Amino acid sequence: MAGRRVAQKAIDWMAFAEYVSPDNRMKFNALKTISDTISSRLTSLPEKPPAIDWEYYRRTIAVAGLVDEFEKKFSALKIPMPVDTETAKIDAQEKATEKDAIAYVDASKARVVEYEKELERYQNMIPFELMTWEELNEAFHETRLDKEKHRYWPHKPITDM
Amino acid sequence: MLSRLALRAAPGVLRNLSPSLSAGALCAARSFHGGQPCLAPLPPLPERGGAVRHGFIPEEFFQFLYPKTGVTGPYMLGTGLTLYLVSKEIYVFNNETVSAVVFLSLVIYAVKRFGPDVAAFAEKINEEKLAKVSTIKNDSIKALETAIQQEKKEQERVAVRSYIFDAKRNNVAMLLEINYRERMLMVYNEVKKRLDYQVAMQHLKRRKEQDHMIGWVERNVVQSITPQQHKESIAKCILDLKALSKAAQATV
Repeated sequence: MAGRRVAQKAIDWMAFAEYVSPDNRMKFNALKTISDTISSRLTSLPEKPPAIDWEYYRRTIAVAGLVDEFEKKFSALKIPMPVDTETAKIDAQEKATEKDAIAYVDASKARVVEYEKELERYQNMIPFELMTWEELNEAFHETRLDKEKHRYWPHKPITDM
Repeated sequence: MLSRLALRAAPGVLRNLSPSLSAGALCAARSFHGGQPCLAPLPPLPERGGAVRHGFIPEEFFQFLYPKTGVTGPYMLGTGLTLYLVSKEIYVFNNETVSAVVFLSLVIYAVKRFGPDVAAFAEKINEEKLAKVSTIKNDSIKALETAIQQEKKEQERVAVRSYIFDAKRNNVAMLLEINYRERMLMVYNEVKKRLDYQVAMQHLKRRKEQDHMIGWVERNVVQSITPQQHKESIAKCILDLKALSKAAQATV
């Protein structure tokens, strides 16, 4: 029974490490250390305790009935599985993260589309050698001179020159 | 003509059509000009001027006159025209002419002497401006590409978030398992310890009993020896020793 429970989803730590961003590296390392510690502790423990040689004790111990009582009580004793309270919390956490992650991915995709639009604008731009001033103003709005605000040449504050 | 006709016919057409279509029908009915419209991307203006002869007369002028006049024709035309103007006194030589000749030669000299430098300077300024704006453009493109890559990478990172939760769940499961195994091992150890204690106690008790019995037997034996027996045994010992020493001498 014990062996079955541990057979969880195996984690490919190498693949995982590739996806970790540099600023999360410390946290990742901490998690990996903890997991490795736990798994090494688990492997160091035997799956089942070695069986007690009742016959030997029965032969050796003179007190009548003592070993029989021990054996009876030992076999009657059932060790309860520790109750799992944390998995539910982790599931809830994952669910909460799920929503954030979807929102983030959507926003990211929107951003990518925006960037690509901007990139396309840059790539389809008229070469600067062939541009007129009007086209330059069209392409880069910040180069347009505000003749209403600054009525006299150079139509922009002297400090910007 | 035709457009005017169409215009005159238009009210009649409009009346027949439904009001929503009227504007479009009017546009379709009139053809204002049949020429090919100018296509939007005009070829860029040439960077340099065309070929010229003698510094200012365009090559096309010569090419235009060649079929009519032959190779010398343009020069003949120029010479004849000048002679005609001079002989008819349409153009009069005076002090202004001298001044014009001097001024023009000075201008030509200045252009020949300083023209290339000025051109190079202007070219350099232009190049600098172009370099500046293309740097800005290239930087922006690079920044955008980097940003897109970054976003894609972030998306991938978000996509594998299940690793973290799997790891956590694994840890929890393993901890529970460790706890369970530790408990089992503890029970086993405790039971075994107690049994071993019983065994050890039993051994100890037996050894004590044996020791005690040996001591008791010894004590009783020692007590039972009388002085008579003691003396006899000493005498027997001395006799034995003597016999031993004799045997030792014989062998030596």
